[in-house]
Amino acid sequence: MTRYIIFRLFYAVLLLAGTMVITFFMTRMLPGDPIRAAMQQNLDLRDESIVQEVRARFGLDRPVHIQFGMWTRDFFTGNWGNSLSSGQKVVDMFLQRAPVTLELFFLSLFWSWLIGIIMGVVSALKRNSMLDFGITGISIGGLSIPVFWEAIILIYIFGVWWKILPPSGYVPFFEDPIMNLKMVAMPTFVMATHGMAGVARYVRSCLLEVIGQDFIRTARAKGLRERAVIISHAFKPAAIPVLTIFGGTFGGILGGSFIIELMFAIPGLGRMGLDAIFQRDFPIIQTMAVLGSSCVLIANLVTDIAYGWLDPRVRIYK
Amino acid sequence: MSISGKHLFFVAVLGAIVLLLMTSPLSMNAMGDEGKSSWVWTEDYPKPSWWIWGKEYYPEEPVRGGYMQYSRTRGAGLLNPNHWPVNDFPLLSGIYDRLIYPDGDHRATVPWLGKHWKMENPTSILMKLRKGVTFHDGSKFNAHTLKFQVDWINDRATGCWSRGWIQPLESIEVVDDYTVRWHLKDVWAGFFDIFANVPGWAMSEKALRGGDAIKDAQRLADKVKLAERKVQKAEKKAKKATGSKAEKAAKKVQKERKKLEKLRNQLAKAQELSKGAKDMDEWAVGSGPWMLEEVRPDNYITLKRNPDWWFGKTIGKPDMPYMDGARYTVIPELSVKLANLKAGKIDTLGVDYSQYPQVKDDPNLKVWITPLNSTLLLCFNETSSVFKDIRLRKAVSHAVDRKAVIAAASGGFGRLASCSFPPEHFAHNPNLKPVNYDPELAQKLVKEAGYPNGLTIRGALYTDSQSRRYGEVIKTMLKKVGITWKIRYLEPVAAADTYRNLEYDLGTLVDGWVKDPDSLLTGHYYPDLEEEFRRNNIPEVQQLIEKARRELDFDKRKKIYWEVERLLYEGYHDAWLWHFTSITATRKVVRGYNRELQIAGGEAYWPTHPGWFKDGKRN
Repeated sequence: MTRYIIFRLFYAVLLLAGTMVITFFMTRMLPGDPIRAAMQQNLDLRDESIVQEVRARFGLDRPVHIQFGMWTRDFFTGNWGNSLSSGQKVVDMFLQRAPVTLELFFLSLFWSWLIGIIMGVVSALKRNSMLDFGITGISIGGLSIPVFWEAIILIYIFGVWWKILPPSGYVPFFEDPIMNLKMVAMPTFVMATHGMAGVARYVRSCLLEVIGQDFIRTARAKGLRERAVIISHAFKPAAIPVLTIFGGTFGGILGGSFIIELMFAIPGLGRMGLDAIFQRDFPIIQTMAVLGSSCVLIANLVTDIAYGWLDPRVRIYK
Repeated sequence: MSISGKHLFFVAVLGAIVLLLMTSPLSMNAMGDEGKSSWVWTEDYPKPSWWIWGKEYYPEEPVRGGYMQYSRTRGAGLLNPNHWPVNDFPLLSGIYDRLIYPDGDHRATVPWLGKHWKMENPTSILMKLRKGVTFHDGSKFNAHTLKFQVDWINDRATGCWSRGWIQPLESIEVVDDYTVRWHLKDVWAGFFDIFANVPGWAMSEKALRGGDAIKDAQRLADKVKLAERKVQKAEKKAKKATGSKAEKAAKKVQKERKKLEKLRNQLAKAQELSKGAKDMDEWAVGSGPWMLEEVRPDNYITLKRNPDWWFGKTIGKPDMPYMDGARYTVIPELSVKLANLKAGKIDTLGVDYSQYPQVKDDPNLKVWITPLNSTLLLCFNETSSVFKDIRLRKAVSHAVDRKAVIAAASGGFGRLASCSFPPEHFAHNPNLKPVNYDPELAQKLVKEAGYPNGLTIRGALYTDSQSRRYGEVIKTMLKKVGITWKIRYLEPVAAADTYRNLEYDLGTLVDGWVKDPDSLLTGHYYPDLEEEFRRNNIPEVQQLIEKARRELDFDKRKKIYWEVERLLYEGYHDAWLWHFTSITATRKVVRGYNRELQIAGGEAYWPTHPGWFKDGKRN
């Protein structure tokens, strides 16, 4: 198991290094000068010396490989530079926004797994019933509905017509817990929709596969109650393959936060990243890409390790 | 002649009656608010037509209270307008008072913190400043603070982008506490426009010094760390060293220690100065009607009413501004902004024309349609494309049915443009009419230019929905006359590079927020400057731009700009499409807006005529 973990860790570090290189050089290959773009409304471009000064301040006047070396060194020493479009320190921006995105993330993870598992289990146990058809319909709808459209529909229903939830915005939990929960209810639900539907479909198929196996028939033949059969015998083996989609859900939710934070005007990391892409804000794009991919890598690493622990066959490698 | 007791009694009674009349409410109404105004208007400073308050301006009396809710597409950026990046000038203009305001015809003529001024000679201006103006941190505005601010902007070390704007300024001299003399390097007709803009936004000297001290302290703290490391390194070396090397190493240690000590002292001083100070980039300190209350970057900024604001007091309306404050919340998505307006979460919104049907009949909203001083034009690359040929420029200009484009791309909200400046701008040449739609002529010109089978040109437009709409409509119109316009839709950063590298034949430009004509015309038609990207070279226009820059007589200067417009128009140097119109939906509880006065007053209308809530609170 230790060798397996070391191998997976090494693999994750390698992927992270690759991500850093690709992110850095790809952002440099994008057309458009970030300094001029960000300054075009504010700076008097007649004074070329000012443009050069700002470029030098952000280290953009140096060769690309030197910039990469400086950025890598600074990144690991916690100096993530200053935003080209807001002038703030990227570390400060990240620390201000990270709790917001984490709250959204954990709540939507909660929605997607809790509701997804319940829907999947109910659907499997009531196979071919109206309830199963209903849940299947909802799941397929959840998988295919565009996030943007779902968000705007919910905003109008709950925020404009019924006026029971604020249409957008964010207040920290420790400032106003009730308002915070009201404000994150819609965005987290929308963020969770896709994952929830995916989990429901996957749980249903895994559970149905397990329920059809001989050992379940044996358990039933022994006279065990149906609840005990499902919880004690069927659920654990069905959960193992479900665990593999955890990493994917994690990445999906993180990616979804870009659109959700934009739609619901939430000042989180997703919106910061999206703004940065349009502004060619290199320090933020690079930081977000590395941290985002690190999170997905860690989630996948945890999944792999957990899977290896649950199923020893997975640990076998050459 | 002796005065009897009877006479004295009569005089006393008469005096009492006059006094009573003067102080009675009837008399106050008769005198009106203007009676209490301390503003003096002269021939040189005539009273503007929009300088009206009371019932003539709005039928209801203002009520104090309430926080107005606004939305913003993005965060405000830095709050010192001289430091890049600034994303929200309208918000900041409520915090900072300025020296002069431009009015409805975009001339910087309205005295503000600059009370009045006189050209002593073509390169020297004497300016009297307003007394009794206090910054939000309690410090006073005067000639010394203004000089400090201008010198601060001019100091390369402070990194102000606005420094480029004030290069024609030689220096500013303090004559007395409330008088300054501006020394110019050369004749500079654009001076007043520039000081009606960011360099003339009054900032607290105390706050600027505090911000500098914070930055100094940070810089010195880094230096101290470095010096400490050097001392440690030197000490290590000294321990290991023997013989003559030991003596040398000990000297080195002493030297490094001295340096460290010096830096520590400097740091202590800077830390002392920075105690309680805030960096102006994060905490704006002006003297305007609104002061900062709370800043949540990328979420919202809350402003509160400045109870010591000078302006209301000078016109006998000390309750100005009437609202308690305002909150600017970041809501990037347009449809979500509209949802917030309809849900009553924000109070006013500039809507897209496509949203107009959703707001025009809403019983809770009042919709205002007002002209904007910005222009959309098709710009030609005359340097390295087929558009060196006037016949092809003319063909494009006549091939575009402007009315149809406005209807298709902007819902009919737009005013036909003849040239750069909108009709209300003083530089607009009233003799020019928008180019007429004549596809037959356009087709003929294309053939005459040597393209009997038509031609293909390159274009680069932004990716936003409006650009795509008009891009496709114009493309179809050009196709009809034999011009195939291959458009690449690019996001702003990539588009800017395409324009800079002249990798296009026909593009578009938006002239936003036109004020003094010099900066706009210089930007578009002056090839030595970066903004223009050398897309054309029209010597006679350049000469006129330079001439206007040195012309101090307003009427003569205006005529020069008319001549510039005529030359550009007759040379088909660009194809001007339309001047924009804004659609603003405001909740009906917000009172006090007078559209006609706002158009007449321009930017100066907003601080002088603040709105209020119907009952003094949001409902």
